Amino acid sequence: MTLLQATDISVSDGATRLLDPVSLRLEPGEPLIILGETGSGKSLLAQAIMGTLPDSLDAAGQVSIGTRHLRAGADRAAFRRLWGREIAVLPQEPWLSLDPLMRAGAQVADAHRLVRGLPRAEARQQASADLAAFGLGGAAMASYPHELSGGMAQRVAIAAARAGGAPIVIADEPTKGLDAARRDDVAALLLGELGQGGGLMVITHDLALARMIGGRLIVLREGAVVETGMTADVFANPKAAYTRDLIAADPEHWPARETAASVGQTVLRAQGLTLSRRGQVLIEGLDLTLQRGRILGVTGPSGCGKSSLGDALLGLLPPDAGQVIRAPELAPTACQKLYQDPVAAFARKRSLGQSLADVARLHRASAGQIETLLARLRLDPALLVRRPDAVSGGELQRLALLRAMLARPRFLFADEPTSRLDPITQRDVIMMLAGFAREEGLSIALVSHDAALIAKVADDMQQFAQPRPDTAGLRDSGKTMVA
Amino acid sequence: MTTFANSLPLNMPLGRAMGAMVLALVAGFALLGPVLVPGDPFAQSLMKSLAGPDAGAPFGYDHLGRSLWHRLAHALRLSPAIALAAVATAGAAGLILGTLAAARGGWVERLLVILADALMALPGLLLVLIVLAIMPGTALGFWAGLSLVLWVEFFRLTRAATRATLTSPAVQASRLLGFRAAYVFRTHLWPEIAPLMLTAAAFGTATTIMGIAALGFVSVGMRAPTPELGLMMVELLPYWREAPMALLTPVLATFTLLLGLTLLAGGQKQ
Repeated sequence: MTLLQATDISVSDGATRLLDPVSLRLEPGEPLIILGETGSGKSLLAQAIMGTLPDSLDAAGQVSIGTRHLRAGADRAAFRRLWGREIAVLPQEPWLSLDPLMRAGAQVADAHRLVRGLPRAEARQQASADLAAFGLGGAAMASYPHELSGGMAQRVAIAAARAGGAPIVIADEPTKGLDAARRDDVAALLLGELGQGGGLMVITHDLALARMIGGRLIVLREGAVVETGMTADVFANPKAAYTRDLIAADPEHWPARETAASVGQTVLRAQGLTLSRRGQVLIEGLDLTLQRGRILGVTGPSGCGKSSLGDALLGLLPPDAGQVIRAPELAPTACQKLYQDPVAAFARKRSLGQSLADVARLHRASAGQIETLLARLRLDPALLVRRPDAVSGGELQRLALLRAMLARPRFLFADEPTSRLDPITQRDVIMMLAGFAREEGLSIALVSHDAALIAKVADDMQQFAQPRPDTAGLRDSGKTMVA
Repeated sequence: MTTFANSLPLNMPLGRAMGAMVLALVAGFALLGPVLVPGDPFAQSLMKSLAGPDAGAPFGYDHLGRSLWHRLAHALRLSPAIALAAVATAGAAGLILGTLAAARGGWVERLLVILADALMALPGLLLVLIVLAIMPGTALGFWAGLSLVLWVEFFRLTRAATRATLTSPAVQASRLLGFRAAYVFRTHLWPEIAPLMLTAAAFGTATTIMGIAALGFVSVGMRAPTPELGLMMVELLPYWREAPMALLTPVLATFTLLLGLTLLAGGQKQ
């Protein structure tokens, strides 16, 4: 029995077609994955199927759920009646979708009482049983969302979404902003949902998640279906060129890098470094050496002090104890940084060309250096007349790298420079970064939550554990994950 | 100055353009009116008391037979001039102190914030009256008193915008690249502050003109026979039945001026 069938779903904004007609079926026990990068139309497809598209967009096509047949883009009230009972939607970033003023248990119990119509006491019992099934004990029942860790909040949100007993679960970007370990937990949780013969639809750009979930796969790009098939088959033998590129761009498939010279000249050294933010000790007694031409991979869960380490190495955050020793020949501007969000790292109202020219003038860069670097980073000089918010994230991150290189740095702290980029762009940026380390002898500290990426690129590793698990830590990790 | 020009919106929203046009009309009248029709705002001719318009006085005459055209043009130079001077002083002081407070932090910031809050607690017009009593010369007193009241607004705006901008990655990147404070101000802070300042300056000018008129109306501001908007209104108020147009002239002029400034300040957020 097919749980959900969508026929020729298309979405358009006035005369502009945003999503070409797509048909799909959701079978019990077989997950369906919609894979695509930002702007591929995958969220539009899901919204059209759930009936949650914004009013300004038009949808066409037919959705059949059980015995009901609904027209996408119309029948809004009919769709609404299905929410919670037939379709459960797991929200993006669930810790933001919980009521901050309500205890976790009560939120799940409310869903049982109001959606399924259970009496109050029974709803409460059922909620407690649901949370226990997710490994959350009585303490979590009585906790407010801010007292829960990100992973716990996610389980509560799933329990609340599932309380109505809907057989179909749609998860929209369930791993957005999560690190690798947490991502595996989410995959296991979602697969656990299938045990009851339900249907699972996952919308994601995360190849690792897609591989773990398995089932069937639809690859979308620019509003059109690129490839469909069984997930395992597509990963083993991608047919479309785009899918091949996408899979090859997964860090796990990157070619191994030739190892750097075993010992390089020391650029920066940290001795007995102890750092804290807002009274919480993040790093204690850390010794670290950054060498010429080598890449140090920094990994660890959110909120463990990776960015603080960078600030301390760059001289922006005074350490509580210990010291950072710079090689004596280092110029004051020899340590540079790449930011997670490159848009925020450029002057908002200045053209990129002006910003770069300012840096070139300050550092007396030779006349053609910007052009040389543009060519090397495969950037179109026409981009320079634009403002930072008018170029793509991948281009802007390369421009940020160009800007840093104009200062002739010896050390570069790259703080999750590719976490907001799609896999293909991510590979390009990381490879260029690695190229600068090899060819210019730049020392790089590369922060990433992607262990596979670090394993492929880094010469040395620095792994951090979760800071001491007091309440402040839990609260903090929740916040940084959202960022 | 190029940064200033760049930060102004090139395609002004409709409201803003209309406000600028209204203000240009008022300024044109104030500056060119007495040139087109020569005359003296102080010359009395009791024979023409409350008389209608003629060639020498296109807006007619007041109760003392003085040309309303010339008195109005004079009044429309005086109040805006005081207001603009006060706003310029207050804007400069607020900008410098606000940037200083946000950049320095610590006790400098705390002290300035306490001072600003203390001034906010006093009614503005009362403060102006106190300064008027101390300072010699009414125009000078108005300028000093109004500047003292107005800078707080600019200070608060600048401090808030600067504080947010200074903690941004963009400023951190500029500092790491070796840029000095002057560059950070020019490329990061000023483009953020300038549009706020323009709006606050237009509102501030409107408030100031209103304040001068209000004090004139209750006869504690400018002294007769100086032509001033509020003073003209209160002088002509007893004759509203005989010469309603004479009373309406300063009222309409004030209204037009304030409308222009408010439209300029409002506009649409880009």
